[in-house]
Amino acid sequence: MKTYEVPQNIQDANDLEQKLELLKHIGRSFSVYRIDCGSCNGCEIEIFAAITPLWDPERFGFKLVANPRHADILLCTGPVTRQMYYPLLRAYEATPDPKIVVALGACGSTGGIFYDAYSVLSGIDKIIPVDVYIPGCPPHPASIIYGLTTALGVMDQRLQKVSFEHDNEMPPAVEDSVLGNTLFERDLLVHSKRLMSYIFGRKLYDKYLAALVKSGNIKDTKATKTAITEAMKKEDDPRYAECLGILHNEIYTQYVPCQEEDKISLHRVKWGR
Amino acid sequence: MMKLLDISKKYGEITHKYPFEPYKVAENFRGKPAYVYDLCIGCAACGVACPSNAITVQFNENKSKLVWEFDCGRCIFCGRCDEVCPTGAIKLSEEFELAVKFDKSAMIQRGELEVQCCSECGKPFSAKRLVKYSLECLSKANLGEKRLEEAKSYVSVCPTCKKTATVANFTAGKEMVIE
Repeated sequence: MKTYEVPQNIQDANDLEQKLELLKHIGRSFSVYRIDCGSCNGCEIEIFAAITPLWDPERFGFKLVANPRHADILLCTGPVTRQMYYPLLRAYEATPDPKIVVALGACGSTGGIFYDAYSVLSGIDKIIPVDVYIPGCPPHPASIIYGLTTALGVMDQRLQKVSFEHDNEMPPAVEDSVLGNTLFERDLLVHSKRLMSYIFGRKLYDKYLAALVKSGNIKDTKATKTAITEAMKKEDDPRYAECLGILHNEIYTQYVPCQEEDKISLHRVKWGR
Repeated sequence: MMKLLDISKKYGEITHKYPFEPYKVAENFRGKPAYVYDLCIGCAACGVACPSNAITVQFNENKSKLVWEFDCGRCIFCGRCDEVCPTGAIKLSEEFELAVKFDKSAMIQRGELEVQCCSECGKPFSAKRLVKYSLECLSKANLGEKRLEEAKSYVSVCPTCKKTATVANFTAGKEMVIE
């Protein structure tokens, strides 16, 4: 859907050669005008993080200005709501030629999570021509600095289109189970993810399996209990330690026949010094 | 004024040298999802989990390939694809330098997988890798010989044909006993 026709005089004054000419002979700082087209303010917070002394974009001459008539770069965020459609056009037409338009954030580049919502136009590039896209939700201040320096041609674009076409039809190898039953590993991974979410759950899973293998005989309930208790005492983080015990009590006992005394009593473990 | 200079001397220079020096992001930073094509089985778990539909898993027009496609511009870096991926083919990397100039298609990543056709009706329904991977998983899951033989026949049947076969079996009075 094309909603706005860029006037011919603006189009003529904004072709690539003129933009490159501007970058070469500007002889002063770049002024950035930030326009919020209905974003959630996440991108704004990151822009303000990016203009703090920690990142200091004035090293490259970027300076936020309060008026589009002073600006060289338009920094647009948000998926463009109906309310912000005309203000965006007014800012675009008010910016002196040649202007560089940067779409910031997932919403600015493609509409992001709102891409098919009824009330937005999903993306700055649906309305005005965009030069640089900075994806991220919100982008890291370093990404913003990178995007703006890419716009000036200081840094090169890293991302390229990648396409894999030759399928060798070989699935990834399935690892052998320590108990001879991969359902044990499956349940263990699912339960550790449930306990500690996916990043730390995977670490917990690795820790538990390492402790289990260390016991020597995995089917011996006494040996595994001592090995897991040992691992729990060595563990610095009490969350991992407790979850190791929970995994042993709830998953291991389902796959290896256990007595009540083979379970680890979690109340008796003392943390810290 | 002198006090101000003292303070600035005390804290030193805190500005990051980026982009002239590489910047190290924090641990567990959610950057661009890195896709490992050789590990992908085309199960579409990531496509189902993706809240913004940045990952789509669809057949191409003539249904000869299953196409996994990721649009970085739409990604909100939530990490759900990483969470659900059974083989670790997609993991959030530490890459944050994602800006592209002019052409938005540079943000797209695709992978084409061979399709598995149904042994009953001949229509494609899944990726070949997924079928092989399921069989391999089942063979290591402590199942009986008979059960495994049965699995070999039904993994390459599409869901629609499976449904009709079950209905036909029930209405014909054949009982299915799964050990």
